[in-house]
Amino acid sequence: MSRRLFLLFFIMISAVLLSGCWSQRELTNLAIVSALGIDKNEKGEYVGTFQIVNPGYVAGGLQGGAGGQSAPVTVRKSTGDNMMEMSRRLSTHLSRKQYFAHTNLLVIGEDLAKEEGILTILDVLDRDPEFRTTASVVIAQNGTAEDVLKALSPIDKIPANYVLKTMKYTEERWGENIDVALHEVITDLISPGKEPVITGFRFTGDGEQAEKLEKLQNTTPEALLQADGLAIIKDGKLTGWLDGETAKGAVWVLDKIQNTAIIVNWKEKKAAIAYEVIRQQTNVSAHIKNNTPSISIHIRAEGDIGEVTAPVDLTDEQTLLKIEKKVEQEIKKQVDNSIRHVQKEKADIFGFGEAVHRSDPAAWKKWKHEWNDLYFPELQVNMTVDAFVRRSGLRNKSYLSEVENNH
Amino acid sequence: MEKAKISAYQLFVLIVLFEIGSALLVPLAIEAKQDAWLAILLGMTGGFFIFFMYHRLYLYYPDCLPTTYVQKIIGKFCGRILAFLYMIYFLYLAARVLRDFGEVLAVIAYPVTPITLNHAFLVLVVIYTVRKGIEVLARTGELFFVLIYLLAISGFILLLVSGLIDLNNLKPMLEEGLSPVIKVAFTQSLFFPFGEAVVFAMILPYLNNPKKAKIIGLSALGLSGINLAISMTVNIGVLGVSQVLRTQFPLLSTIQMIQLAEFLERLDIFFMLAVIVLGFFKISLFFYAAVIGTADLFHIKKPSQLAFPIGFVLLFLSIIIASNIMEHFREGLQIVPVYLHLPFQIILPLLLLIIAFFKNRKKRGQGKPST
Repeated sequence: MSRRLFLLFFIMISAVLLSGCWSQRELTNLAIVSALGIDKNEKGEYVGTFQIVNPGYVAGGLQGGAGGQSAPVTVRKSTGDNMMEMSRRLSTHLSRKQYFAHTNLLVIGEDLAKEEGILTILDVLDRDPEFRTTASVVIAQNGTAEDVLKALSPIDKIPANYVLKTMKYTEERWGENIDVALHEVITDLISPGKEPVITGFRFTGDGEQAEKLEKLQNTTPEALLQADGLAIIKDGKLTGWLDGETAKGAVWVLDKIQNTAIIVNWKEKKAAIAYEVIRQQTNVSAHIKNNTPSISIHIRAEGDIGEVTAPVDLTDEQTLLKIEKKVEQEIKKQVDNSIRHVQKEKADIFGFGEAVHRSDPAAWKKWKHEWNDLYFPELQVNMTVDAFVRRSGLRNKSYLSEVENNH
Repeated sequence: MEKAKISAYQLFVLIVLFEIGSALLVPLAIEAKQDAWLAILLGMTGGFFIFFMYHRLYLYYPDCLPTTYVQKIIGKFCGRILAFLYMIYFLYLAARVLRDFGEVLAVIAYPVTPITLNHAFLVLVVIYTVRKGIEVLARTGELFFVLIYLLAISGFILLLVSGLIDLNNLKPMLEEGLSPVIKVAFTQSLFFPFGEAVVFAMILPYLNNPKKAKIIGLSALGLSGINLAISMTVNIGVLGVSQVLRTQFPLLSTIQMIQLAEFLERLDIFFMLAVIVLGFFKISLFFYAAVIGTADLFHIKKPSQLAFPIGFVLLFLSIIIASNIMEHFREGLQIVPVYLHLPFQIILPLLLLIIAFFKNRKKRGQGKPST
């Protein structure tokens, strides 16, 4: 009998203890942080901006009804001398417990990145078991992280998702920006042979308007976030920006280009042919000769003709070979410009040092301390590009050729 | 010694689960940097020789536990003391694995729950299993072996498909030459986890087909060694050496990197399942060895009676062996291998083997003329 009683007692105790009421977190008590922004104020304190999802107003849709009455996110600010203090102090004006497991975006203010650097702020994010190091990092260009996080966005209701998806698809389709995860940034910060690059996000338009819900009722929002440029980080500090084609050239070297358009001229006509890259492979290798390192880059691109605005005979193989040549030159030009620009910045964002490290670890030991300042700027880079045209869409010759013949 | 028999396959499964055990969770042989896999494989080769040693001893005395045969080898008094020391060694290792397990849970999932409670629940399950005997443990092993491999293979496929593994992280190979790799292999990975197979000296007498002991032992060690090497290679490939050096549980960080098709992400549960299942087997085997050996040493008829009292000792030992996680890991990496593993895994068995060799030769020499 007593054995049975004991068993019953045991089962009941287990039911209470094992079902996990210890440190339980109810959904209604969590403030789900969708994005975290970090700036620094005049007093030298960190200013954290927390973009918190407003659960009732996200689900919206046709049935929801609630959507549209209030903003989908709430943005809160807090200050502190380090990240932990700042984050915990937020609880004085937040009715719920912050929950970082869904924080997919980290925004760093440009001033903070320039003056103090990003080294000191990342440890807690790396260490904390709740925060994911797969979160993407962006830098608020020409502004504070707060500006970026405050802006509401059309189409994707949660602004953090807007930023993330913008970054993802612009990387995939255009290739001037890349989506960099926190753990990649940290790995690059540590490595002496590679410096991090981080995409910049810029806020365009009227700052006052950005945080108002009404602005979303216009077809052309007056204030919008835009991915712009790649930040070069050297020794943990932002030292410069790559824009437009120089940024794209860097993305080529980093082997991150997925699809992009290469525009080439044909005879007199400018921007006559658009070559659409479908896939590419970039190999970077290092060679050491006479105690000096050199880098060779080999790019192999495959793609289609996406558009012609001049009468080009695409059925002719010789023409295609010429187009391929032009595309190769264009890619080479972009990459060359980019490498020259970055060499002036003296920050090896391409990972050439890593390549040297891999091919000659002994030599790398001598060079690694002065790599960025001494060896990288003087580095000889040889490049070969192979571009292939595979298809030309649904048409071969453009109707433009016939128009030309009729005249 | 209880009246039980396990099959060759069951022994194989137990050795693999045991060896992979807690070694899968920690950054194994990471002092060898990107050559960790090489250090693990070297350690495994060393492990083969250690296992040969235990196997020879087993061949001399196939029907009794080491606690009995040490008394035959070096005499009753000394043998008993040595056997008793071995029981303490097993119990301490069981406590260490339990602590590893508890720390993982405390860091990842239960930051507020007292670690004693995490330990207590696992110890209860372990005690229950050990009371039921080695056959039950072996059958459970067969069941979970499949689960662990399903987890491992699906995790590996996910990592491959999401293209996270960058083999460039493994270069340059042998950056500092071969000597650091050998040093790590023979100061760490040889003892942990491969040398810990000393616990199977306590299990081998239960094997129903003694002829297969050698091939089973070696193939199981080989499989687990290769698996561990693959796991470290994948960790380094995904995270890079610098990050593996910083993490306490690299496999978890690796699994957290999986982000596939917008919904296959946050697969931490893969890791948690593996931790709990593998931890359970490793603790159970050490604990079983301690219980059965103590029963054998003190002539207690029902070993299961000892499971509860020793289980509580295990629980308290696991709490008091270290005051924080750093101390625990530091002891595990620097002190235990030299002061405990080296004598208990290699020196003492080797001495026993030499003495047993001479004793048995004499016996055989005397026996021959009479037949």
